[in-house]
Amino acid sequence: MVKVLFLDAPFTGKVELSQDTISYLKEKQYKKIALYGSVQFCNQLDKVHEQLKELNIEFITSKPKRAQIVSQLLGCDNFQDSFNVDLTEVDAYLYIGDGKFHPLALVYAQKDSSKWKEVICNDPISGQMLLLDWKHIEKILRKYKASLKKFLTVDTVGVIVTIKPGQEQFKPSLVLEKKYPDKKFYYFIDNNVSFDQLENFPFVKIWVNTACPRVGFDDQEKFLKGVLNMNDAYQAVELLSKESILTRV
Amino acid sequence: MVLYNTELQKALEKIKAENAKTVCIQLPDGMKPLANEIQATIEKETSARVLIWLGSNFGACDMPLGLDRLGVDLVISWGHNKFRKEVGW
Repeated sequence: MVKVLFLDAPFTGKVELSQDTISYLKEKQYKKIALYGSVQFCNQLDKVHEQLKELNIEFITSKPKRAQIVSQLLGCDNFQDSFNVDLTEVDAYLYIGDGKFHPLALVYAQKDSSKWKEVICNDPISGQMLLLDWKHIEKILRKYKASLKKFLTVDTVGVIVTIKPGQEQFKPSLVLEKKYPDKKFYYFIDNNVSFDQLENFPFVKIWVNTACPRVGFDDQEKFLKGVLNMNDAYQAVELLSKESILTRV
Repeated sequence: MVLYNTELQKALEKIKAENAKTVCIQLPDGMKPLANEIQATIEKETSARVLIWLGSNFGACDMPLGLDRLGVDLVISWGHNKFRKEVGW
């Protein structure tokens, strides 16, 4: 067995709220926020805690389901129940880190909610603030909703299973066969999802992703037949029949 | 400006503690340009051979497979920490 050492590669600069972020939080008069950051930043949030205290803003944080440490946000903790804490009372999310990949998890996690809360991204590298709202994923959600509807009507489904030990979900995906006995499920095995191979299987009418859950959203354009994530395929009828951001788009 | 601490001391300590002879280094895209510097330090401070993982490094869920066949003793993966897999999501 090959041993593994993970190194966080922490950010070497100052981790703090920028003036833009501070001004925005004051303007919005938020009283309670949820605070998360990517692994390069989430061990260095002392100054951010102080600044929030000075702003009289209460914060909630947690160790999400797939993370190893408190306040750490992974791109795959993008489910409504990912956070192991009740976030219904917060006014908004505050993310500390760079890029959009990680904070978009906080956006996708709200797709099944009826009430939207904005995601404020504070990037300590650029000193910039970025706001993410559901409009950033509106196009993706519209297609995703179409894929959910299509899934319910088609008779042949391609299930993508990755062999990466951290992602492989073959056995859990088998529940779909029981739930939908009238559909024929074909299982496709890969390491990274080979998007350029999908069209070589024309009998597949829609794809179900069981690899990284972000593939079902971020890589949607690469699936000409449509794609949805395993958990959403399982609850397709329920998702389409409840009031949520997904059904509103 | 170096944005991220490569924590090379920890890497060297682990290589020595494991007496690793062949080490695969896996870097996220933003740190891949540092691979040659990391390799140089490892080669200077230890007797391990370094193999650089060319492919993806999406997260701790994305570990290279089949390295034991190449005799790799240790993988050092930067930019992530241990991952708690949720079966069935």
